[in-house]
Amino acid sequence: MEQLLEQIRKQAGEALDSCADLKELDELRIKYLGKKGELTAILKQMGGLSPEERPVMGQRANEVRAYIEEKIKSRMDELGKKALEMRLAQETIDITIPGRRQQMGGLHPLSIVTEDMISIFQSMGFDVVDGPEIETDYYNFEALNLPKDHPARDMQDTFYIAENILLRSQTSAAQVRVMETRKPPIRIICPGRVFRSDEVDATHSPVFHQMEGLVVDRGITMCDLKGVLEQFAHEVYGPETQVRFRPSFFPFTEPSVEVDVSCSACGGTGCKVCKGAGWIEILGAGMVHPNVLRCCGIDPEVYSGFAFGIGLDRITTTRYKISDIRLLFENDVRFLEQFQ
Amino acid sequence: MKVSLSWLKRYVDIDVPVSELCDKMIMSGFEVESIEDLSKTMRNVVVGKITKIEKHPDADKLQICMIDVGEAEPLQIVTGADNVFEGALVPVAKHDSDLPNGVHIKKGKLRGVASAGMLCSGEELCLKEEDYKGAEVYGILILQGDWAPGTDMREVLGLMDTVIDFKITANRPDCLSVLGIAREAAVALKKEFRPPVPSYRTIGGDISEHIRVTVEDYDLCPRYYGRVVKNVRIGESPEWLKRCLKAAGMRPISNIVDITNFVMLETGQPMHAFDLAQVRGKEIIVRRARDGEPVTTLDGKQHQLTSEMLVIGDAEAPSCIAGVMGSADSEITENTKDIFFECAKFRRDSVRKTARALGMRTESSTRFEKGIDVINTEYAMERALSLIDELNAGDIIDGVIDKNTGLPAPREIRVEPARITELLGVDIPLSAMVDILNSLGIATEFSGTELCCQVPSFREDIEGRADLAEEVMRIYGYDHITATAMKGDIIRGRKDALRINHDRLKGVLTANGLREITTYSFVSGKAVDQIGLSEDDARRKTVKILNPLGEEYSNMRTQLVSSMLTVLSTNYNRKNARARLFEISKVYLPKALPITEQPVEQPEACIGIYGKEEDFYSLKGIVEAVFARFGITNLEYTRSAEPYLHPGRQATARMDGVPLATFGEVHPSVAENFDMEERVYLAELHLADLYRLAQTKVLYQPLPRFPAALRDITVTCDDDLPVAAVEKLIRTGAGKHLEKIELFDVYKGSQIAQGKKSVSFSIVLRAQDRTLTVEEADHDMNKILQTLAAEGITLR
Repeated sequence: MEQLLEQIRKQAGEALDSCADLKELDELRIKYLGKKGELTAILKQMGGLSPEERPVMGQRANEVRAYIEEKIKSRMDELGKKALEMRLAQETIDITIPGRRQQMGGLHPLSIVTEDMISIFQSMGFDVVDGPEIETDYYNFEALNLPKDHPARDMQDTFYIAENILLRSQTSAAQVRVMETRKPPIRIICPGRVFRSDEVDATHSPVFHQMEGLVVDRGITMCDLKGVLEQFAHEVYGPETQVRFRPSFFPFTEPSVEVDVSCSACGGTGCKVCKGAGWIEILGAGMVHPNVLRCCGIDPEVYSGFAFGIGLDRITTTRYKISDIRLLFENDVRFLEQFQ
Repeated sequence: MKVSLSWLKRYVDIDVPVSELCDKMIMSGFEVESIEDLSKTMRNVVVGKITKIEKHPDADKLQICMIDVGEAEPLQIVTGADNVFEGALVPVAKHDSDLPNGVHIKKGKLRGVASAGMLCSGEELCLKEEDYKGAEVYGILILQGDWAPGTDMREVLGLMDTVIDFKITANRPDCLSVLGIAREAAVALKKEFRPPVPSYRTIGGDISEHIRVTVEDYDLCPRYYGRVVKNVRIGESPEWLKRCLKAAGMRPISNIVDITNFVMLETGQPMHAFDLAQVRGKEIIVRRARDGEPVTTLDGKQHQLTSEMLVIGDAEAPSCIAGVMGSADSEITENTKDIFFECAKFRRDSVRKTARALGMRTESSTRFEKGIDVINTEYAMERALSLIDELNAGDIIDGVIDKNTGLPAPREIRVEPARITELLGVDIPLSAMVDILNSLGIATEFSGTELCCQVPSFREDIEGRADLAEEVMRIYGYDHITATAMKGDIIRGRKDALRINHDRLKGVLTANGLREITTYSFVSGKAVDQIGLSEDDARRKTVKILNPLGEEYSNMRTQLVSSMLTVLSTNYNRKNARARLFEISKVYLPKALPITEQPVEQPEACIGIYGKEEDFYSLKGIVEAVFARFGITNLEYTRSAEPYLHPGRQATARMDGVPLATFGEVHPSVAENFDMEERVYLAELHLADLYRLAQTKVLYQPLPRFPAALRDITVTCDDDLPVAAVEKLIRTGAGKHLEKIELFDVYKGSQIAQGKKSVSFSIVLRAQDRTLTVEEADHDMNKILQTLAAEGITLR
C-alpha cells in the first residue's frame, strides 16, 4: 500500500507539474482527491489493514493528500496568474480610437465675458441690476443731463417707438432708476442690451451690449474711480496693465474721461494692435454730474459718485480676436463650439 | 475741425514737433482724428527758369530747354509742350523726384537727347484751376510771381504745412474755431495765446442811411449784429487766405465770401454777406417764415418753409434761412457794389430743427446747432472788417446795427479750492489752480477762502464746481490721479433672483448639450406670418420702431421662435449636421396700441434642435430636465395647438393649470418657410411662471435601508390610450409600497393586434421598515393587474 501511495504521489506530482490550464488542473484534482479519486479509493481500503499498520498508513496517506493539495494550490496560483496575463494580453485595444463623447453645451461668448465682468465687480461689492430695454426719453436722456435738442444727443442715433419712448441707447439709463430707488451707499453694475441705429458692418451692430457701473457715497473721488478700473483692468488684461485717464465729454459725468489701458500685445511700446499708440481705449467714465445727482434727489454737496460704461461686445471680440462683430449674432454652431 | 499748423502758428508759438503738439492736445481733451503732412505729396520738384529753348534735332514736336534750378549748372530737359518760353518759371521734377500722382521721375534720353528730369503740367501736380491759376491750361504750368529758381515747389503751392483734424466734443463748441484750438494749444504748450487784434479804417458815413434792421422774433435770434461796406472790390483772395480755407476743406470763391468763411473758421462765428442792391426796401427783417413760404437757396434747391423756421428777409421775401443758407437772390456776385455783413446768434435748437427739416447741413448750421458765443459776434465782425481793410476789398461805413434784448453779464462761480480737490482726490497747489483757470480765459482770483472765477461767455459749458474741477484736472494732468480703494464695508455684490434663475437655466441647458445663441431683439413684420400665427393671435400686436434700419429690423419681437428658426436655418443651410441651441431673452408686449407707455418686457427661453438623433422625445427630455432643475413636479402634458408646430406632435406642460412650456416638432410648412427640409424641434419656456413656481431648495432624503422588489410588466392596450393613462392606473392600483414606475418599451407591430400596442414598465416596490416578502410583492402586483384589467388592459 505504501508503494501504491508513493506511486500516486509521484504520478500526481508529475501530472500536476505538466498540466496546462485550470480546467486540466480541476480534472486532476477530481482524479486524485475526488470522491471516486485514486487517493480516496486507497483510503477506503484502510479498513483492511492491521491496527498497527493503520495509523502509520493513515499518516502516510494524509501526507500524500497534503502534498497533492498543496501542489494543486500552488499550481492554481501559477496557472491563474498565467491565465490572467493571457486575458489581459488578448484584451489590448487601440487607445487612439476617439472616445465616445456627449455633445457639450456652452454659453455664448458674450455671456462668458459678461459673467466674467459681473464676477469681477461682484467681488468689489457691486450689486447686479437690470433696467428696461425700452425706456422713456426721461431716463435715457433727460435725467442724464441731456435735455431735448441738446447737441450731445447727436452722439447717438436712437431708435424711437413713440415720441417719448425709445430703445435705450446706453445702459446709463438704469443709473437714474437705481438712484431713485436706492439710497447711498450705492454700488451697482447694470449689464445689458442697448440699441443704436448704426448700419450693420464688421464693427457696428444696431444691437450691442454694455455694462454700466455706478458708485455713489460720501467722499467718493476720482482716485477711487481709478482704483476700481485698475482692479478691473488687472483682472481682464493682466496684472501688468496700466490705466490711463484722458479727458473727454459725457453729459452725465463731470469730469469725464476716456479710459485707456496699456496695450497687452506690446506692453505700451506701440504695435499693430494698438495702431502704434501703446494704449487701447476701453471705456468711458467720470464723476456723476451734479445735475444728475440732483435730479435723483441726491444732494451733490453731500454725496459724490462715479460712473463708467463698458462695451461688452468690444471686450468679447478683443479677447477672442473675433474680426467681425456679425459673427456674434449669426450663431453658426461651428463658431459657438469654439467657446468652451 | 481741420486746422493747418501754419494757421495755428499765427496765434501761438508752436516750437515742438507736430506729434508732440498732438499728444499734448489729446491729453488735454482734444482727440486727433488725423494728421496730414501736405509736404509728403511731392519731393524734389523745384522752380526752374527757362533760359534757352532749342528745337530737338530728330523730333518735330520736342523742344530742348536749358533750365536754371538755382544750381551751378543749368539742367537740360526735353519737353513736348509748346507753351514754354524763354524766361518762364516752371515746375521742374528733377532726377529722382516723386509727383503727387505717384509717378517717380528719373533722368533719361528722348530721341537720343539727354533729359535731366521733367517739366510738369498742372495736372501732373494734381492741381485744379482753383488751386492755382492756369493749372488746367494744356501744357506746362507757368508759375506766377517772382520765385527764385530752385525754390521748393511745395513752398510755392503752400504745401509746407500740416493739417490736423481735431475731434471737438459736444461741450466745446468754442473750439469749432481756429482761435479756440489755438487758445487750448497755448495752454497745453504753456505758451502765450496771441489772438489777432482787429483794427481798420472807415470812410465815415452812417449805417442807418443804408439799412434798417428789425428783429421780430428775439426768442429765436437773441442778437443780430451788422455793418455796411461800400464799393467792394470783388476779386481773388491772397494765397495765404486761400490756403487757410483749403486746409480746412473749404473752396475759395471771392475775397468777400472768403472773408466770411475765414472769419467763421477762425472765430467760430458764422457770417453772411448780403448784396445791398438786392435787399428790397433797404430793410432786413428777422422773422419766422410763413407756412409754405418758398425760398431758393444758394445751392439751387427750392424749399417750402414753415412758421417754425427763422428767416432773414427783406421788405418782400426771405433772403436767408437763418443760420443755414442764404438765398440765390442776395448772393454776392462780381457786380456787387455794397454789402451788408451779418453776425448773429440764432437759437441752436431752432437751427437744428430747421436744418433737419430741410435736410441741409452746412458749416454754418453745424456751429449754430452746437451753440455760439453771443459776445463773440462783435469780435467776429471786427475781424471781418479788419480783413476788408487789410485786403483793400471795400470801404467801411461807420455805425453798427446791434439788435439784442440784453447781453449776458459774465458769470461768477465761487468755490472753495478744497471742494475741487476732494472731488478729484488729488492735492493740487492753489497757485496751479489759479494759473490754469486764468490761462483758459477764466479770470480767477483767490479771495482768501474761495476761488472767484469769472466765466467768459464762450464757456457756457462751465456751470459749477465739477466743471472747474475738470478744467483744472485736464490741464494739471490726469496722470496725477492715483488709484485708491473705496472706503466702506467689504461686501460681495448680489445678483437678483431673475439673474440667479437665468444662471440655473443656462446650467441645465448647457449640461444637456445645448449652445446659447444671441439674436437681435427686433424682427421683420413678416416674422409672425412666417410662423403662421392666426390673424387674431396676440403676438401679432407688436411694438414697432418708428425709424428702423429697414423692414427686417422693424418690429420688437413678441416671440423668440422666428429668431430661433432663422438661426437653425442658417446652420442647416451651411450643412451643419446637427444643432442644439437655446436663447434666453426678452419679448416685448405692448400694453396698448398705439404705444403710450413702456411695453411689458417678459423673459422667455426658446430651445431649437435638429439632427439625426433628435426627435420629439429628445426635446421633451430637455424640457423635463429643466423642470427637474427647478424642482417642478406634478406636470401635466396635454396636446396644444401652436400653429407653427406639428398638430400631432406638440404639447403644453402645465403645473396647477399654469402653462410653463410648449414644445414639439415644427410644422413642416413652417420649416419650409425657413428653407429647412428636415424635422426641427422647438420648445418655448415661459420663464416668469417657471421661476415663480420653482422649488430650488434641496433637502436631503435618507437612502432606503431595505432592498426593493423589482417587477417588470408588459401589458397590451388600445393604441390611442396615452401611456400616461396606463401609468396613472398602475399608480391607482398599487399600494403604498410603490416607489417608482418607469416606462421602458412601447411596441406596435406584427406581433400584436391591429389598433393595439404593448407597453412595458419597470415597477419598484419597497417598504421603509422591512424587506418585502415575495408574497407581499405578488399581492401588490396582482392589485395592479386587476386595476388594469378592469380597464381592458391585459398582461401580454
